Amino acid sequence: MRVELLSRMPSEKLRDLASSCSVDEHELLTHLSFTFAVEGISRACSHQLVRHRLASFSQKSQRYVEVKKLDEHVVVPETVEERAPRAFRGFIEAASGAYRELIDSSVPKEDARFILPNATETSLLVTMDGRTILHFFGLRCCNRSQWEIRAMADEMLRMVRSVEPDLYGKAGPYCYQLGCCPEGRFSCGLMDEVVERYRSLADE
Amino acid sequence: MKVELIEHTTDLEPTIATAVLTTTSKSRPSKLFHKLRGDPNRVAKILSRIEVQHGSVFDHNRLCWRVEATDREVLDVLLKNRFFTFTRLDDSIWLSSSNLRTAIRYIQDNRDAFSEALSESIFDISLKSLGGLRVKMS
Repeated sequence: MRVELLSRMPSEKLRDLASSCSVDEHELLTHLSFTFAVEGISRACSHQLVRHRLASFSQKSQRYVEVKKLDEHVVVPETVEERAPRAFRGFIEAASGAYRELIDSSVPKEDARFILPNATETSLLVTMDGRTILHFFGLRCCNRSQWEIRAMADEMLRMVRSVEPDLYGKAGPYCYQLGCCPEGRFSCGLMDEVVERYRSLADE
Repeated sequence: MKVELIEHTTDLEPTIATAVLTTTSKSRPSKLFHKLRGDPNRVAKILSRIEVQHGSVFDHNRLCWRVEATDREVLDVLLKNRFFTFTRLDDSIWLSSSNLRTAIRYIQDNRDAFSEALSESIFDISLKSLGGLRVKMS
């Protein structure tokens, strides 16, 4: 997985304007924007990402871009690698062969892709405004979120904090933002540990 | 009504061009972006090919305006397009923002003072290589 912050709305001019009018800086978050290139995540991860409906996405299309060497472009979960690598690899090889066969039989890419697994790598641009991304961090940096999107959210958080340290120093999972866990009976029960992790991320 | 573009996202035009190519290219978006950033002619060529009705590539940015307007004028804008965001700075001074897609849509759909001011701020002042869009929109 690779994440890069490509473009953003810098806050300096907006903060100057706000301070001269006694407007709270956090009211400006909605006017900020961050655009990331996200590469080498699985389609399973991108399915979760696009559920954040207030964000914008431009994703590599399987209608237009043929997947070559599927076995070299899949994300393999650690648990799979540890417990059942042969079953996983066997399926990927079969899917790869069937996909190739469909393409070679002149099945259009948009139909051949029906056979591609969730593990297939994808790349995309994602843009979120400054308030949406705070909510995204609240949910996706949480211990309850899935490991791949959490790793992606952590990378995005590091980048956002490095360019906007004053506005996003308190950004992270909701327990870190709020000082209490809002997950109720689903709470991981490790709030102190999580808060410390994101506090030290702020110092990195 | 007075509308002044005060800020927009960095590398706005190369980012739009990157979004265009990301969907159909084998290359990684970050690689596309860094190449395009150093090639304004190619960026201009890609932007000139965009059909404005396929607007999602215009989502990857934000533009901020200082707006002088009455409450009624701001309400009128919001009723016409709910994707603009306004923050009140003073009695009749507002900070407003949207992405380029929203701004383009507003300019296409409306012929009012805000529409004219938006169009002028986007196409005449800062983002000259997007000027071709004006022709397609009219």
